[in-house]
Amino acid sequence: MSVNQSMASLSGDFLIAALMIYSASVIAFAGDFAFGRPRRAAAKAGTGLTGTALIDTGEERELATVGAGADAASADGVTVDGSATPADKARSQAAELADAARAKVVASPPAPPASGWQAIGQAGAWVRAGVVLSALGATAHLVAVVTRGLAVHRAPWGNMYEFVTALTCVATLFFLYVLIRYRAWALGVFVMGAVVLALGLAETVIYTAAGPLVPALQSYWLSIHVTAMTLATGVFFVAAVLGALYLIAERYRARGAGRGNGLIARIPSADQLDKLTYRTVIFGFPVWTFGVIAGAIWADQAWGRYWGWDPVETWAFITWVLYACYLHARATAGWRGRRAHYIQLIGFVSLVTNMLVVQVFITGMHSYAGVS
Amino acid sequence: MTDIRAPQDAAEDESQLAFPEDGRNAVQASAAAATATADDGDGAGAGPAAGWGWFRWAWRQLTSMRTALVLLFLLALGSVPGSILPQQGQDPAAVQNYFNSHPALAPWLNHLGLFNTFAAPWFAAIYLLLFASLVGCVVPRTFRLAGQARMPPPRAPRNLGRLPHSESYAVALPPVQAVAAAAAILRGKRFRLRHPAADEAGGWVSAEKGYLREAGNLLFHLALLGVLVSVAIGGLFGYKADKLIVEGQTFSDTLTALDEFHPGRLVTGSDLAPFQLTLKQFSASYYTSGESRGQPSSFDARVSYSSSPGAPSRPYDIRINQPLNVDSVKVYLIGHGYAPEFTVTDAAGKVVYDEAPPFIPANTGTFLSDGVVKVPDAAPDQLGFIGVFVPTGVTAGGILDSAFPAPYNPAVSLLGYAGDLGLNSGLAQSVFQLDTSAMTKITSRPFLLQPGQSFTLPGGRGKITFTGYKQWASLAVTYDPGQVPALICGMLAIAGLLLSFLVRRRRVFVRAVPAAADGERSVVTVGGLARTDASGGFEDEFTELVAQLSSGEATPRSIIRAPRGAPDGKATTSGAQQPASHDSKTDPGA
Ligand code: HEM
Repeated sequence: MSVNQSMASLSGDFLIAALMIYSASVIAFAGDFAFGRPRRAAAKAGTGLTGTALIDTGEERELATVGAGADAASADGVTVDGSATPADKARSQAAELADAARAKVVASPPAPPASGWQAIGQAGAWVRAGVVLSALGATAHLVAVVTRGLAVHRAPWGNMYEFVTALTCVATLFFLYVLIRYRAWALGVFVMGAVVLALGLAETVIYTAAGPLVPALQSYWLSIHVTAMTLATGVFFVAAVLGALYLIAERYRARGAGRGNGLIARIPSADQLDKLTYRTVIFGFPVWTFGVIAGAIWADQAWGRYWGWDPVETWAFITWVLYACYLHARATAGWRGRRAHYIQLIGFVSLVTNMLVVQVFITGMHSYAGVS
Repeated sequence: MTDIRAPQDAAEDESQLAFPEDGRNAVQASAAAATATADDGDGAGAGPAAGWGWFRWAWRQLTSMRTALVLLFLLALGSVPGSILPQQGQDPAAVQNYFNSHPALAPWLNHLGLFNTFAAPWFAAIYLLLFASLVGCVVPRTFRLAGQARMPPPRAPRNLGRLPHSESYAVALPPVQAVAAAAAILRGKRFRLRHPAADEAGGWVSAEKGYLREAGNLLFHLALLGVLVSVAIGGLFGYKADKLIVEGQTFSDTLTALDEFHPGRLVTGSDLAPFQLTLKQFSASYYTSGESRGQPSSFDARVSYSSSPGAPSRPYDIRINQPLNVDSVKVYLIGHGYAPEFTVTDAAGKVVYDEAPPFIPANTGTFLSDGVVKVPDAAPDQLGFIGVFVPTGVTAGGILDSAFPAPYNPAVSLLGYAGDLGLNSGLAQSVFQLDTSAMTKITSRPFLLQPGQSFTLPGGRGKITFTGYKQWASLAVTYDPGQVPALICGMLAIAGLLLSFLVRRRRVFVRAVPAAADGERSVVTVGGLARTDASGGFEDEFTELVAQLSSGEATPRSIIRAPRGAPDGKATTSGAQQPASHDSKTDPGA
């Protein structure tokens, strides 16, 4: 089936639009860094915010359940200062327990987490602009990927250009999720900056016009395989940015420099980044594993062996082992923290190396026409 | 041993309290003790013999998490040369080239096995050690998990406020009933429960859930072992062969008929599946316009095959990504090319040659192909030709080239030799090469033929006619009995990963104390602790759980609601009935 040229050029236009909108979002996120409220102020605002949310939910619950319990707590006239309780070791254990419990009863009610949306709404104009622009860009990006697929009548990741386009789309969407779920807009300038760089590279250096696939690539296993690899790569991409930020935050912490520095004051703490990286990797890892297996199934159909240690396979394996190393390192005393993150970043380097080999590989598929 | 196997999460460091038997933060002594009980029941350091002690020490080192980490890293590192240097298994010609271009370095690399990395002894050592470590790690953990699954959770710690998560609420029930109500809800959520024994102080219940997380981790590691075993099975009992076959030819899956045969260690010729296959027709189609002009769009090898001699023959289209499967032997299309057909007649008009020798593509984009024609039956001398075939011939500046891979304008260009082909020398000869050492050139320049054209050979040697062309396909015949097990193990590995990442192992403790002197009301404290919370979310789960416990689906609500008009109005607005959080780390006094 021949290429639908008008679709293809539509896709190209949308991608350019996405690139421009993304660039604007990077500027907005950077603006937050430059002119926005520092993190601590924002954190305070956040507390205020959760306070408001709390009052609402608090009232609801009160309506539903207020009663004897409250009475019970107040029956003793409990106005105990909670802070005194843990220190009070002299009393009998039972009494201590009771006090501790009561103290908590009268303690201020819990702060149920406000939704990420609300938090973004409160985070200032720069952040709001950044998030809206990223989301807008992601929409254009998604349209670009879909129309490219419609133009070539197949999954739109058959060559390097298409692959990078698709994986940056995944990275952006995944980042938007992380942003909303974990309020991680402080990472926007880094992640979106990296996305803009990768996309810019795709547009300039490795641009490939829409075209059909050679027979070896005409397999639905290939679509499954590359879809998984694209997804995992996009996710690992975000993990790598988080890991790099962790190293920066960790360095400051190690120096005991506090959080005074402008950059450090704005990005999440080293611990938070560490957790976030880990969660990102454990999302990517099973997907990568699945992608490798799907690739093996495809290789078996196309070449008659499911694993042949050709360079692309070898690097996919190396990458997989390195991420497994990271997961182990996180569970090994003495390797947690910075060293584990180095391993994770090495894993990403090997992934990128592989992508560059994949490029050679995919053009090399023409060798199919020849004798093996 | 324990410290390596009980990985720690920063969030859990304060939790020895609640997961003591897991040996978190285990000190050397407890590790040694654990080994002692697990291995032989001997006290640490009191081994029967020094040798045995050494062995235990070495085994402990090998199965430590740190060693596993180092071995994993070595595995990654060791794979790198296999992707950078040419490998014997994939491209022997490239290895030969490397030897020619790096005469000093290559033999050294060869000594290190770097041209066959993935079969090198040192590579095997890495992964065998790794898997030994894996076994040594996973097997005891499996037993431990089995033990834990049968054991009830530990008693509730005294001060639940010290756990990472804890909240309290008040209920209008005596403590024992309040705990029973909470226990009922927890049981409904399929927690495993532990109640105070008859001789213990009451007022608490412990609950635990999420054993599947450890089970998933073990499943993952065992499945990896399964993959390795599957690969080994394939290597021992499988085989791989190549066969080049021209349209109209037939071959059977026997040692002599195959061009190249790579058997597994335990395979003999008689293990081959006895099928027979005929290539009826090969066709390739190409894009004829646009940027991808000349790029293939499909290949199709139409064959007929019978699974054993005498069995009915069946048709099949072998395509790329669509192998033929005969009794779990698979036949793949891995290459194709042209085989120009020639007849040679001698001076007397007798046909001494009528064949279609396969030519090998020299340019895989245009299918300009090289080949030779050997005519041993020609007289007085044997004849040989070196030829070039072009599917779409063009001559630019007197040089023959091909403009397109499909046969729009086929042509051959030949250079003739006469003399001794050397076929009787006893040495094996390639069908793709002409040994001209005992031959003389009989044509000064190559001559060009189009289908149907002939060239009269000088010196009354007769003539050669280019009658047309056929196509050939090269097929790979493979048998790998480890394939299906490997796939199953791969899928199990993913299932194990997902389990271990998605399931969190957590404990919840409930304690109730009387809130008033009459003992009819109590304050209930709930403590929670996630041993593993890889994907996060325990906090939310805990909050919700406490909300459910305190709203008490199982408690009589009417009693709770009754004293709405309590004298102390302040209490009703203080939200005492809601879960109250107590974050021991950041807000100790709240
Ligand atoms: C064949 C090489 C190995 C690979 C590819 C591998 C891979 C992995 C992966 C991906 C994980 C994280 C998934 C999970 O938590 O379930 C993991 C966890 C783990 N592995 Fe391995 N592993 C290997 C060998 C070993 C060995 C030899 C040991 C024992 C010394 C080991 C012990 C563990 C432990 C204890 C965990 C749990 C860590 C945690 O709870 O975070 N692994 N492994």
